[in-house]
Amino acid sequence: MSDFKLKKWARSRRGQQFFVCFSFMVLPLLLLFVFTYLPFGQMVQFSFYKMKYLTPPDKRVFVGFQNYIDVFKRDDCFKALKLSLYYCVGALVQLVIALYFATILSFKVRGGNFFKGLMFFPYLISGIAIGFIFKFFYTRGFVLDTVLGFLGVNESNIPYWLKDQAVNNWSLVATSVWRYFGQNMVLFIGAIMSVDSDLYEAAALDGANRWEQFKHIIIPGIKTILTLNVILSITGSLSAFEPPYVITGGSNGTGTYFVIMNEIAHVSQKVGLASAMAVVLLMIIFGCTILQKLFFKYVFKDVDSQDEVSSKRRKNP
Amino acid sequence: MKKFSKLLCGVMTAALLCGCGSTSTDAGKEAPADNATEAVTVENETTETADAVSEDKALTYADITLGEDYTDLEVTISLLNNRTDLDNETYGGTTWREYLAAFNEEYPGIKVELTTDTNYAETAMTHLQSGDYETVLMIPAVDKADLSTYFMSYGDLATMETQINYATNKEYNGQVYGVPITATAQGVVYNKKVFADAGVTELPKTPEEFLAALKAIKDNDPSIIPLYTNYAAGWTMGAWDDYIGISATGDVTYTNQKLLHTENPFKDYGDDTHPYAIYKILYDAVAQGLTEEDYTTTDWEGCKGMINNGQIGCMVLGSWSYPQMEAAGENAENIGYMPFPVSVDGKQYALCGPDYCFGINANATDDEKAGALVFVKWMTEKSNYSYNEDGLPIAKSKTETKLVFDGVELLEEVPAVAGEEDLLNELNAESELNIRNAGDTKVQQIIEHASMQDMTFDEIMDDWNKRWSDAQDTLGVTVDAE
Repeated sequence: MSDFKLKKWARSRRGQQFFVCFSFMVLPLLLLFVFTYLPFGQMVQFSFYKMKYLTPPDKRVFVGFQNYIDVFKRDDCFKALKLSLYYCVGALVQLVIALYFATILSFKVRGGNFFKGLMFFPYLISGIAIGFIFKFFYTRGFVLDTVLGFLGVNESNIPYWLKDQAVNNWSLVATSVWRYFGQNMVLFIGAIMSVDSDLYEAAALDGANRWEQFKHIIIPGIKTILTLNVILSITGSLSAFEPPYVITGGSNGTGTYFVIMNEIAHVSQKVGLASAMAVVLLMIIFGCTILQKLFFKYVFKDVDSQDEVSSKRRKNP
Repeated sequence: MKKFSKLLCGVMTAALLCGCGSTSTDAGKEAPADNATEAVTVENETTETADAVSEDKALTYADITLGEDYTDLEVTISLLNNRTDLDNETYGGTTWREYLAAFNEEYPGIKVELTTDTNYAETAMTHLQSGDYETVLMIPAVDKADLSTYFMSYGDLATMETQINYATNKEYNGQVYGVPITATAQGVVYNKKVFADAGVTELPKTPEEFLAALKAIKDNDPSIIPLYTNYAAGWTMGAWDDYIGISATGDVTYTNQKLLHTENPFKDYGDDTHPYAIYKILYDAVAQGLTEEDYTTTDWEGCKGMINNGQIGCMVLGSWSYPQMEAAGENAENIGYMPFPVSVDGKQYALCGPDYCFGINANATDDEKAGALVFVKWMTEKSNYSYNEDGLPIAKSKTETKLVFDGVELLEEVPAVAGEEDLLNELNAESELNIRNAGDTKVQQIIEHASMQDMTFDEIMDDWNKRWSDAQDTLGVTVDAE
């Protein structure tokens, strides 16, 4: 009886719907599980053990939360996290530059596409290659110093870009900004394109200048993409890895959290501790994302209500 | 509504097709699986015959007579190696292609598929961890206790010691799991002309003489970098650890036995010996401006040409680097190799030791193992690899080498005592000093502190002593106060 019901259900539209949905979803979900959640689960498990990579499972020692306590007790882990502040500042600068160029390039500019391509290009180069480019770029007497020399800067006034600990983190951040702002810009241009161009005209008739148009039309129009980009940039800056790893190898005070984690995991082979560091970083990123969400909700609340008011007005007359 | 049902129909047929597709691939999977089992049974038959030859005993290194055994064996083995430069036709010495061609003249049936990797140590670890690794590979940092999990034994220690030097290097429980590809001595590679031009006629034997020589070079021609640190490459910094044992103490048990139990091993012994003296040379050289101006942008590939044409005085690197420096330019005759400038009671010592060791996959088929054994033995005895690479001989039957250290005693380190094989690794992991285990960061920090003058050398050594003592405490290691 129940067998019959199941068959009937399977033939019904609902049943068919279920099968179609299921068969389409099972593969991506399986991939997601096997390559994301399963390794993640393993990592969380590792974080409670004292072990090396090649320690057989039966020889791993369970240490409870000791690894987590160590993460907070060690000074190198959180000192490394402070370096993320450099990258956060860099991320904000990057967003401002990206937004600026995006706004200019989304209006009619001579050679606009050429400039778009030019600024997007660095994003297409592999991070490792960029590392090598900038290693030579910053070497004493190489590209940057020569260019500054042309501009009349005396060589004795130029710092050692990677050696001097007062500037070396900024040097690294600059490479990251150079690489990613083009990508942010393209996303912004896409969003700005979707803003109804009649609005600019209407605003111009009302006597709004470019800045006012930017502030009252573009910013509210692209706030979703803007929020997304800020969140991605901040989380990205917390997990900065490529520039310090390739250019300086994390030495000379440039070891970010990821670089230190990599060193602990692969050189000292404290896999448990490194896993715990990864979990702690994940929590921090969670925290940051939630805070940002709240922040944007608060900041854009006024804009939202204005939108509602104006749309109401439009409907009413 | 009609439209919707049509659409649904379409989707359903698509889903059905999907289903069909997956079943058909399943069927496809089953078919080759059958083949595979067949192949396995075939292999089993051949291995049985091979077993019959060796009378049901595992084949060992000593059993093989080159040129007689297995000359008609047909097998393909894979090889993972760290020497990317030998995999390049522009290499000045003998390339891998030439070695393998020579090997195949004698053993045309054994095909060797070579992969070389610049990031060898990590790549090899990843391969091992995955369980799917090459037939022959250079053994990376595997704990001795785990050697037998991954690699087959070449035979027992007593037999192997009659065959090769350095047999104890990868030995565990009386079985030998690794045969070194070559062996090197640890000293300093230098440019003879630069030293001679600066008036340094006698090679420095103490830290003081060495620093004076560097200073003389700098005074003679300020454009020459007396000591190039290779800071940026990283691993070149960890190489300084190789000198703290034999060179600094003349004691063959120091690194693997004494160091583990020494209280504050990095303290100042006051006589320019022990680890303190080694690292102090680096600190002083940097503090006195005798190294490159901007250490963060040193260039490993570039330094070879620079020392060859006389822009660099010397570099602290093992003798393996000697042929590379010679090959990097037109002045090969100017490159020399000297012992490390530390003397213990007026006598200089140098560590000689094996390079990477060949390991053979424990899970390979018997045919592959036989092919691999033949290949390893051929590399050791017939290839001349060790001599070509300016190394010390591996095969017991050989003696010739290009390295000449007059009046310097070459010593080989003895392994840890039984039960403490992994203690150095444990202490390294715990203290994170990683001595003799890619501890690049700590040596880089010596240069940073020397350059910025924000920590004296003694403060650095005190910190290391503390980390070492804490690790000894945590692991419950007995400490001998001296």
